[in-house]
Amino acid sequence: MLAIGGAGVTAILGFVMVFVITAWFGNPLPVFGFDQSPEQPIAFPHTVHAGGEPILDADGNPKLAADGTPLTGIGLDCTFCHRTVTSTNVAGIPPVETCVTCHRVIGSIQSEPLTILRTIGLGDNPGPIQWKRVHRLPDHVRFVHEPHIRFLTASENTDVIANRDESAILAGTNPDGSVMPAVTCSTCHGDIKTQTQVAQVEPLKMGQCVDCHRKNNAPTDCTTCHF
Amino acid sequence: MVTAAEKVSGHKWGMAVDVDRCTGCQACVMACQAENNTTLSTEDVYRQKRTFAWIRIERYWYGEFPDVKARFIPIMCQHCENAPCEPVCPVFATYHNTEGMNVQIYNRCVGTRYCGNGCPYNVRFFNYWEPVWPKSLRNQLNPDVTVRSRGIMEKCSFCVQRIRRGVREAARDGRELQDGDIEPACVEACPTNALVFGDYNDADSRVSVMRNDDRKYTLLDKLNTFPNVVYLAQVDATEGATGGHE
Repeated sequence: MLAIGGAGVTAILGFVMVFVITAWFGNPLPVFGFDQSPEQPIAFPHTVHAGGEPILDADGNPKLAADGTPLTGIGLDCTFCHRTVTSTNVAGIPPVETCVTCHRVIGSIQSEPLTILRTIGLGDNPGPIQWKRVHRLPDHVRFVHEPHIRFLTASENTDVIANRDESAILAGTNPDGSVMPAVTCSTCHGDIKTQTQVAQVEPLKMGQCVDCHRKNNAPTDCTTCHF
Repeated sequence: MVTAAEKVSGHKWGMAVDVDRCTGCQACVMACQAENNTTLSTEDVYRQKRTFAWIRIERYWYGEFPDVKARFIPIMCQHCENAPCEPVCPVFATYHNTEGMNVQIYNRCVGTRYCGNGCPYNVRFFNYWEPVWPKSLRNQLNPDVTVRSRGIMEKCSFCVQRIRRGVREAARDGRELQDGDIEPACVEACPTNALVFGDYNDADSRVSVMRNDDRKYTLLDKLNTFPNVVYLAQVDATEGATGGHE
C-alpha cells in the first residue's frame, strides 16, 4: 500500500495547481509554432518585398541604390507570390522561378539575391528551397484559404474583419480607401510586411476560428473543418 | 449555440442505390479506399477479421444449381436519422448534423467503440493499429482527408470533403448548386450509375425521385433507424421485384 503523507499530498496538489494556473492564466504555450520564428534557408525579408518602408542595413542606416537614392520596399501584393490563395486550399510557396523572374535582372545589379541562391547550391543544383513551415494547423483540420479570402475581401465585409485593432487595419488601406489584401491576410497572419523573419503571431487555435465564425455567422458545424 | 447559418443550411444529403443496376464490380470499393485514405485490408488484417471497407459489396446467391443468380448490394453507412451509434458516444464524436449526415469527428473520438457495437449495419471500423502504407502508396494519400491514427473509429462520411468543395466552388462562382454537382467517390466511380447522390430537400433531384419509387426499401427498416440511404429493389423478369435480400 502506497502511503502518502500530508507533505506528499500538498506537493502533488501544488503541482496540479501550478499546472492549472499556468495553463489557464499564462500566455498560450507555444503550440504549432505560435510565437516562434524559425530561421529560413534564405533570410527572405518580407519587409523588402511586401513592405513600403525604407530599407535599413545592419547599422540602421538607410540603404542606398547605385545612384544614391534610398531604397524602399517594393510593396508587392501578397498574391504576387502566394498565387493560389484566392483559388484553392493553400496559399502556395512560390517556386524559385518566381524569384528569378525579377532577380535575374535585379540580382545582376545588386548581386545579393543571386549570391544567396548560389550559396545554398541553387545556382548549380536547381531544386526547391526547403522553407521551414511557420503557420501550421493540426492534421485533423482542413483549412481552405479561398472562402476566407473571398469573405474578407468582399467590400461589404470590410468592417467585420474580426477583432483586429484599428491601426492594423488602417495601415493596410490603399490610397483610394479600398482595403489591401494584406489586411485580409493579417487577420490571421499578423502584419507580415513588417517582419524580417516571419513569426506566427496568432495562436490559430480552434477557439479563435470558432469565435470569428460565430461573429460572422459562418457555419460552426464540426464538419466545416474536421473530416 | 446554434447559429442561423446552421439552422438553414438547406441541404439534406442522401444516397439512392439501384440494386438492379449493381453488377458487383467493386469499383466503388476501390474508389472509396483511394479517396478516403482507409487502411489497406491486407491478408494479415483479414485474418484478424479487421478489414476496412467504408463501402462493401455483399453477394447473395439465389436459386439452385444450375439456375443460380448472384445478386449484389453495396452497403455503406446508412446515415440513419435515428442512428443507434449516436446516443452511445460519450464524447459526441458522432452526431447528426443539420445536413442529414451522421458525421464522425476524429479528433473528438476516444475509441470506446460503443458506436461500432451499436451499428446494425456493421459499417463502422476501428483503427486497432496505426495505419501504414507501402512506400509506393504514400504519395497517393488524399490531402483533403485526415489520416486516422490508432484508436479512432471511422466510417463512410458521404465524402464530406467533396460536399464542402462542391458548395464552396458553387459559392465562389456565384451559382446555384445543381443536382449532380457533388458526387462522392463511389458514385463517381460506379460504371452503371447504380449509386446516386443528391439533396432530398430538392424535390426534383434524382434521389428525391428515387426515394418515391415503388421499388424503394431501406435496410433493416424494422429497426426504425430511418436511413438516408435508400435502395431500389432488384427487378427480376420472371419474379417481379424481389425486395432485395429481405
